[in-house]
Amino acid sequence: MSRVAFMLREALVNLRRNILVVTGAVLAVFISLGLAFSALAVNELVRINTIAWQQGVHLIVWLNDAGRDGVPADAHQNLLNEVMQWEEVANAYYVDKTAAYEEYLDLFGNNPEMIEALQNPSALPTSIRIELADIELYEQVEFRLQQYPQLINRISSAAQEIEQISAVSRVLNLLGIGLSIVLGVSAMILIANTIRLAIYARRDEVSIMKLVGASNWFIRVPFLLEGLIEGLVGAALAVFAVWVAGRNLAGAAEGIQLVNLQIPNAFFLRWGVVFLLFGAAAGVLGSLLGLSRYLREADGGRPAGVRRALEPV
Amino acid sequence: MIRLEDVTKVYEGGTVAVRDVSLDIPKGEFVFLVGPSGSGKSTLIRLMLREEAVTRGTIYVAGKDITSLPAWKVPFLRRSIGTVFQDFKLLPNKTVFENVAFALEVLGRPRSVIGPQVEQVLDLVGLADKAERYPRQLSGGEQQRVSIARAFVNRPPIMLCDEPTGNLDPATSVGIMKLLDRINRTGTTVVMATHDHAIVDAMQRRVVQLSNGVVIRDEMAGRYETVGEQ
Repeated sequence: MSRVAFMLREALVNLRRNILVVTGAVLAVFISLGLAFSALAVNELVRINTIAWQQGVHLIVWLNDAGRDGVPADAHQNLLNEVMQWEEVANAYYVDKTAAYEEYLDLFGNNPEMIEALQNPSALPTSIRIELADIELYEQVEFRLQQYPQLINRISSAAQEIEQISAVSRVLNLLGIGLSIVLGVSAMILIANTIRLAIYARRDEVSIMKLVGASNWFIRVPFLLEGLIEGLVGAALAVFAVWVAGRNLAGAAEGIQLVNLQIPNAFFLRWGVVFLLFGAAAGVLGSLLGLSRYLREADGGRPAGVRRALEPV
Repeated sequence: MIRLEDVTKVYEGGTVAVRDVSLDIPKGEFVFLVGPSGSGKSTLIRLMLREEAVTRGTIYVAGKDITSLPAWKVPFLRRSIGTVFQDFKLLPNKTVFENVAFALEVLGRPRSVIGPQVEQVLDLVGLADKAERYPRQLSGGEQQRVSIARAFVNRPPIMLCDEPTGNLDPATSVGIMKLLDRINRTGTTVVMATHDHAIVDAMQRRVVQLSNGVVIRDEMAGRYETVGEQ
């Protein structure tokens, strides 16, 4: 027990006494993990917005009035029933003339000229609004609808644009994930290297500890604890900084309706834990790598080839 | 206590530091290893401490062959040997008290034991009043006394000293030698590498002289140089 307490005390005392080096290591963790976490957060924003754009009505089927030009009275309802059976369709609903007029008022309520121009509300066409199961299926659904030329006046679709946005966001997603991985790996190397340098500065200390009879683990544990603490503190700062930045961004963009800049707290919680573990692991790994050489050197290892050099002696 | 049998050490690159050295050092003896720089004194100390591995031969410490000791057992060997070096090798970030206590911490001694034991040994080396100072705040002689206190605090049966007075003025050196002599009188075996003529001549102890890695003289109650050499 006294050894565990000693090693913990050692780690804390060393952190305090080597404050400059420790600050450097914490900053390295903070900056590199902050960048990686930011990339991941941006990626999350792209994902959220892509989903938002992909949801909603994808096709509007403008219909010819029933009971005129040979369109049977129940044709609208029959078409809606049929469309709803199609597996490409997630949802479909009918907008009659009354609903169309309400929608018109919603859209142009602030524009008296437009309201005045529409002298006869029944002139507005009825329509079927279709939400697709998969945005990429819009061409197939359009093709199937084209089988009803008598009933259908026109088909409006935002699907092509949405598909283009989806393609762009897929690329952005991949880039974001790739960037996060690259920054994550760089973070690991940078952290490990910074801690290795910190240990290099204290290599004499390690050799003295060995001389006094300290075992490798006795020397290692305080260094590992230091690395762990540095990694955790740096990662916690990075997560906190990105969370604060995310909050501010969402606050500043409240008026913008086109894009959603609100990253859910669940994301920060889930990935925050991952980044904390990553920072801790990088700190421990850096310490292990940094120490191994000096511990080996102090053990009186027999270099290979010396026996061969001795042969002529 | 220490026995070397035909010990040879060849460094990487082919430099032969020590060649076929055989020595027997009984318990409680005070032995000077003398010779010019590069004669192999420090290498012998490092070999006895397993800081270096022998190339050929065998070294026994307290009856155990340390040349075949696995790396994980080396710390146990070092805990039974106190070491003192020319450059003191103190931990700069630790106080005098903490430096000395460290040798007991690695043994896992409880704090209740460490405190009194460190105070006692600091009293022995005359530094009780400087326990809270850092090494940089001490003179060379004081730093060496801290180093001796650390080496002796767990009462090891062996003390290996590599030029402990090499960085000190003659008056301070005398103080250090008195301390080592006092430790030797408690039954501790002391092996000291030095090229300080005055000290060796004054102490009149066993002298092992090395030249180019070979033992050329092993004399009880000897002087630094043989009478003929003077």
